[in-house]
Amino acid sequence: MNLPRLGMLIVLVLATACGTAAEPPASAPAGAGGKLKIALSNSFIGNQWRVEMENVFKAACAMPPYKDQVECSVFNAGNDVSTQSRQISNLISQGVDGIVINAASTSGLNGVVQQACDRGITVVSFDNTVDHPCGITVNTDQVKFGQQLAQFIVDELGGSGNVVMVTGVAGTGADNDRNKGAKEVFAANPGIKVVAEYSGMWDSATAQRVTAAQLPSLPDVDGVWVSGGTDGVIKAFADAKREMPVFGGEAENGFRKYMAGTLTPQVKGMSIGQPPYLSVVALELARAVIKKEREKGNLTIPFPVVTGSALTPGETVFPDLPDSFFADFTDSGPNAILVLCQQAATDGTPCPGATLSVKLGTP
Amino acid sequence: MRDLQDRLGYLVLAATALAYFAVYTTSLGRPPGSFDYLAILNTTMPLVLVALGQSLVVLTGGIDLSVGGVVSLCVAITAATGGAPGWIVAVVLLGALCGLVNGLVVAYGRIAPILTTLATLSVYTGAALWVLPVPGGSIVPEVRAVLSNPNVPTGLGWLALAVAGWWVLRRTRFGLRVYAVGSDETAARAVGVPVERVKATVYALSGLCSAAAAVFYVATTTAGDANAGAPFILTSIASVVVGGVAFTGGRGSAMGAVAGAVALTLVIDVLFFAGIDPLYQSLFQGLFLVVAVLLGTGAALLARRRAA
Repeated sequence: MNLPRLGMLIVLVLATACGTAAEPPASAPAGAGGKLKIALSNSFIGNQWRVEMENVFKAACAMPPYKDQVECSVFNAGNDVSTQSRQISNLISQGVDGIVINAASTSGLNGVVQQACDRGITVVSFDNTVDHPCGITVNTDQVKFGQQLAQFIVDELGGSGNVVMVTGVAGTGADNDRNKGAKEVFAANPGIKVVAEYSGMWDSATAQRVTAAQLPSLPDVDGVWVSGGTDGVIKAFADAKREMPVFGGEAENGFRKYMAGTLTPQVKGMSIGQPPYLSVVALELARAVIKKEREKGNLTIPFPVVTGSALTPGETVFPDLPDSFFADFTDSGPNAILVLCQQAATDGTPCPGATLSVKLGTP
Repeated sequence: MRDLQDRLGYLVLAATALAYFAVYTTSLGRPPGSFDYLAILNTTMPLVLVALGQSLVVLTGGIDLSVGGVVSLCVAITAATGGAPGWIVAVVLLGALCGLVNGLVVAYGRIAPILTTLATLSVYTGAALWVLPVPGGSIVPEVRAVLSNPNVPTGLGWLALAVAGWWVLRRTRFGLRVYAVGSDETAARAVGVPVERVKATVYALSGLCSAAAAVFYVATTTAGDANAGAPFILTSIASVVVGGVAFTGGRGSAMGAVAGAVALTLVIDVLFFAGIDPLYQSLFQGLFLVVAVLLGTGAALLARRRAA
């Protein structure tokens, strides 16, 4: 009984003794002679969006100019705050120049982010951002997401009708903000009646199941506001042979197929997405800040918005990709922040022959 | 061989600690520094405490799934109130109360622990969301400096306190009764052990440990999140398993679970520095668990065969 315990103690004491001698470098040498080391610390990889987000990050790292300037690494934490916190501590020990984070908790990484900042490491968080002020954040405005989709529905319905809200995962900042934005708009239009509000957990299968369960008890529905899992909600309406309401939803490829008429019945809708390329924008911001090409400062990028029925295959809708795919892994239009090819999102391989240019806009 | 099962936690911890030392040094060309040890200590403390409470419950043959809810609720309250000392005392008492509710339902209501704590898990998690709908809050800097100081290993003192607490508890009459209830409830009752009271108390202690873990969590992360507790359900049970505590009750030690908790944290670091592809990291974490459990079961089997 005592021997292993003694051993444990010795290891601990030894460890602390050697410890005081070796400290991680106080400030990382910013690209001295070599490539910058930038790591992506992602909270979990359990859904399509996260896979695309990591794939476009890997693809960007393998494309010029990043190929020659940045040495990238990627870590996943299984949605566990303490695991992610450990990984970031280890990145600090490795002496990376920058850490790009999609956090398991908005607040749970504050302690370790502070430690990274203290050592001169540039921390950029995106999507699920870290709220510690020493880090930089890149995100979209989630309140606006809710407002914009709700306003579209209100306009389409001429200001009156029954609306259903399918929300996301409760307790997350994004869900809270999206719902808040939508409710503001619906409340400002007395003709709009929210007849049901339930969570689709940002998942098409769950959204379909819950919607199918709710539909029999619902009156005529004129508009549906979906925070995520839009194609699932449409399928539930189609299965129940209900008349197709107006949809304001996320950027699922399946939803866009319904909008384009590739899947029937064609639906009228507006599709706004949280773009997976946020990881690439965060990478560019980290690079620019480390290279002192840009001041430290938070960045809000506009949503890629698609509406109407004129969708471009290969750009805003992808007929040969699954419904669950997020079609907004690349921006489109003349003011595109960046343009990526299909294989960057599906396989994480670089777009052949292309040089990536990420337009951050003026700070 | 029976000894092996008792020492499983320590052996696994020693192995992972050695592996950590080896991969860190080969990867970075220097041994881990004080920064690394402190970071490990501070991020492990919450799991260590939850695992300690969980092991007490498992020793009586029960299981506590509600630890996730209690941690979430206590994190939410601590962060929402800023963690002033008065509130910390209140939070710890509340944690014990939440645990006591579990214990009373299990002991006197005679409802299976897994059902009881699954139900209260939902209740406590819901209450946490009600207290702190959006992640945020804060912690008094002095509390952080005392609990999980990023520069001084204050956590070691608290760890020692927890170990000492168990050491004393195990030698009290109550400690003996915990083992008696877990080994054979009927026999324990026959010799006059107040089984219901013992059970209610271990659940209350588990709640208390979860509450203390929550305070540490907020001190380490400097803020709260109403979903903070969820990962602790599985990791605390895994720590107990790796620590060699038998799920049938009556065998093992809370110290094993503590060692298991530290080992589980170190595995993350081993995988990190070994450069395992992130996609396969959870696969390896799972394999680690399977191997640890197989070791434990194998040791138990061998012990039985030798006794026969």
